[in-house]
Amino acid sequence: MSSTPIPLILEAANAEVRAMDDVELRRQLERVHADCFGWAMACCGRDSDDAEEVLQTVYLTVLDGHARYDGRSSFRTWLFGVIRRTAASRRRTAWLRGLLLERNGERMRPEAPAPTDAKVESDSRGETLRNALAHLAARQQQVLHLVFYQDLTVDEAAAVMGMSVGSARTHYARGKARLATLLGDARDL
Amino acid sequence: MTMMDERELRRSFEQLREADRDRVPGFAQISERARTRRRLRVPQRLRPLVIGAAVVVAILSFFQARGRSLAPAAATPAITTWRAPTDVFLTAPGIELLGSMPTLGASVLDKMIPTPSNKGT
Repeated sequence: MSSTPIPLILEAANAEVRAMDDVELRRQLERVHADCFGWAMACCGRDSDDAEEVLQTVYLTVLDGHARYDGRSSFRTWLFGVIRRTAASRRRTAWLRGLLLERNGERMRPEAPAPTDAKVESDSRGETLRNALAHLAARQQQVLHLVFYQDLTVDEAAAVMGMSVGSARTHYARGKARLATLLGDARDL
Repeated sequence: MTMMDERELRRSFEQLREADRDRVPGFAQISERARTRRRLRVPQRLRPLVIGAAVVVAILSFFQARGRSLAPAAATPAITTWRAPTDVFLTAPGIELLGSMPTLGASVLDKMIPTPSNKGT
């Protein structure tokens, strides 16, 4: 019979459970990775570099256990919420840094780059939509992205955006109407 | 807005999603960068130590700089014996002419020209 002390056995078991959690988390993250990138792009004004940075931070936060999935919503919805908050925090930091640099006579980097980004322009697919979306309020852009791009319901979109369902519905209705008008105008031109 | 419009809207978003799919960086790539960042980061339990050390260094530097500015210089000369290093420029030829008050009706050159009264002296 083995004479290994019980605390050591428990520690080994805990380590195994943690490793399992890590593997499982990675598997789940990988499964929704493409969707996360799309959402991160929407949260970062369609700047792919910013979106990558945000995703790195989010994956670190999740894998380190600083953000824990509690099972109250789907994993994807929960992760979208983490991405939104991380992007918002990053935007605030960038704004403050820009403010300091501006004080020192440097030019501040625009918060949401206009859709004249070289990468964006080189890709003609969806360009009309991107241009039209750029004319909407940020909340309207986000709720429309979550509903049409990510196929979430308005209720789920509200959970991701941390707002009431009523507010989300208002943003959704106004954004959709405005986007339809903008796309109609672009088609007529 | 008609249903047709909504379908069109969905199609536009679908096109955007397809365009984005081509640009999605691999999960492994993002994950690896995140892991590198984690390795570079100071471990959570060491952070108070690092912050404490930084504060101590800052305080020591402050007091060291303050002490240096307050300490008197080692060989400070007394004001009565001190001579300005530029004093040498004040001695010029003919400076003695300006050393005394001129008198009315006299010339500054009188002091230089030998007179019968001071010739013998």
